[in-house]
Amino acid sequence: MTWTDEELVARSISGDADSFNELILRWERPIYALAYRTIGREEDARDVCQETFLRAFRALPGFRGQAKFSSWLYRIALNLCRDWVRRERRTPVVQAPEDVDLMDLAAAAEPSESIEDLVARKDLSRAVEKAMALLPEEQRTAIVLKEYHGLTFQEIADLIGCPLSTVKTRLYQGLTVLRRELAKNETVPKKAGSVFQR
Amino acid sequence: MRCGYEGDREGMLIAYLYDDVEPAARAEFQAHLAVCEPCRTELDALSGVRTTLSRWNPPEPKWLAGQPNHQSPITNRQSRWWQEVPAWAQVAAALLLLGVSAGIANLDVRHDGNGWTIRTGWMTPPAQGAVAATAARRPEQIGVASQPAGAAFTPASTADLAALERRLRDELRPQAAMSAVSTQTPVRTTSSDSEILRKVRALIEETERRQERELALRLAQTINDVNAQRQADLRKIDSSLNGVQNSLGVEVLKQRQTLNYIMRVNQKQ
Repeated sequence: MTWTDEELVARSISGDADSFNELILRWERPIYALAYRTIGREEDARDVCQETFLRAFRALPGFRGQAKFSSWLYRIALNLCRDWVRRERRTPVVQAPEDVDLMDLAAAAEPSESIEDLVARKDLSRAVEKAMALLPEEQRTAIVLKEYHGLTFQEIADLIGCPLSTVKTRLYQGLTVLRRELAKNETVPKKAGSVFQR
Repeated sequence: MRCGYEGDREGMLIAYLYDDVEPAARAEFQAHLAVCEPCRTELDALSGVRTTLSRWNPPEPKWLAGQPNHQSPITNRQSRWWQEVPAWAQVAAALLLLGVSAGIANLDVRHDGNGWTIRTGWMTPPAQGAVAATAARRPEQIGVASQPAGAAFTPASTADLAALERRLRDELRPQAAMSAVSTQTPVRTTSSDSEILRKVRALIEETERRQERELALRLAQTINDVNAQRQADLRKIDSSLNGVQNSLGVEVLKQRQTLNYIMRVNQKQ
């Protein structure tokens, strides 16, 4: 039987540790991805992710269910990311390894993907990381939440605590900067399908 | 050509791009797009950015759930076990520890008009006197701790100090005499020398045995660690080789298909 997040939360509050572990299994990867895309460091993203769950665990008895559990978790993670950025007083660091380990690359390859394709994919990923690192924190957060976590504009507005129109503006400005920065990079494909013709 | 859209153009572009817009507004903007070249161009460009963004994946974390060495931040928290203990219990434990320590140290802590006084009584009972450590007091107020417990504190007079000096001299005199005797006359009992020697040897042997045991234990631990690391490395190499084999297999397949194609073309010619 699959429990909903809210059911698992209720069971966790009543003392069932396995239920909270189930919540971790469900949300650890998205929270880590959110942290990584926001702060750009694997180790720090891991710390943020673990701290998020620890804080959630401690604050669980106070969770009244006004918001979705995932939104609540995202808020904790975003606050921690914001603390990290302020503490470090710098923009996210792009981990661009100079020495590409072919063995690691091969291990990460899709079965039908050649090494050349894989290297191209990694280059592209790195280009995106670099471009994202240039964005102001609020624009980056809006893009990450919308693009990679599929939150609605309203959910993002609630999470960040700003008007809905501000969320759209941040997204527009952020995407425009990314468009300009990615256009400079040779590894990024120049053509894309028309949205209008969809 | 300039865009003549009336309203929040940027907001609408974004809403349309993410398909997060009311159907009526969507239809209206779609009608606008049909006649507005700049909006179409910008929308396509932003869509291209989204396509590129979708290729960005965080590195696969090895510590996540489902991974062999996964550590749950909640269940695997030996180092943070104390965080689960309520604050009141932590305070109670700290006070208990403090009390036990004070009892063992035979501490006498008291507070009076002259501030806090802490006395230790390891060697002598409190009633006989103890070294007094006094905080927040002037040096001239430091008294001799020879009063019985519970007695009111009185500053030490010159006579008290003289009495203390006399008593200390009396206590030290026999010890000094004994040490003088021991240095002047070599101990006549050679048997006691050999006894001491034997004890020292036994102590050294015991120490050596303990060190050997510890060394063996650490060696075993190191071997275990090395083995575990080796197993992990082997697993990693194995998975890496599988990846390489997959890639090579695909390449070989492609080349074989190309060769077949060339051969077929040659045969046709």
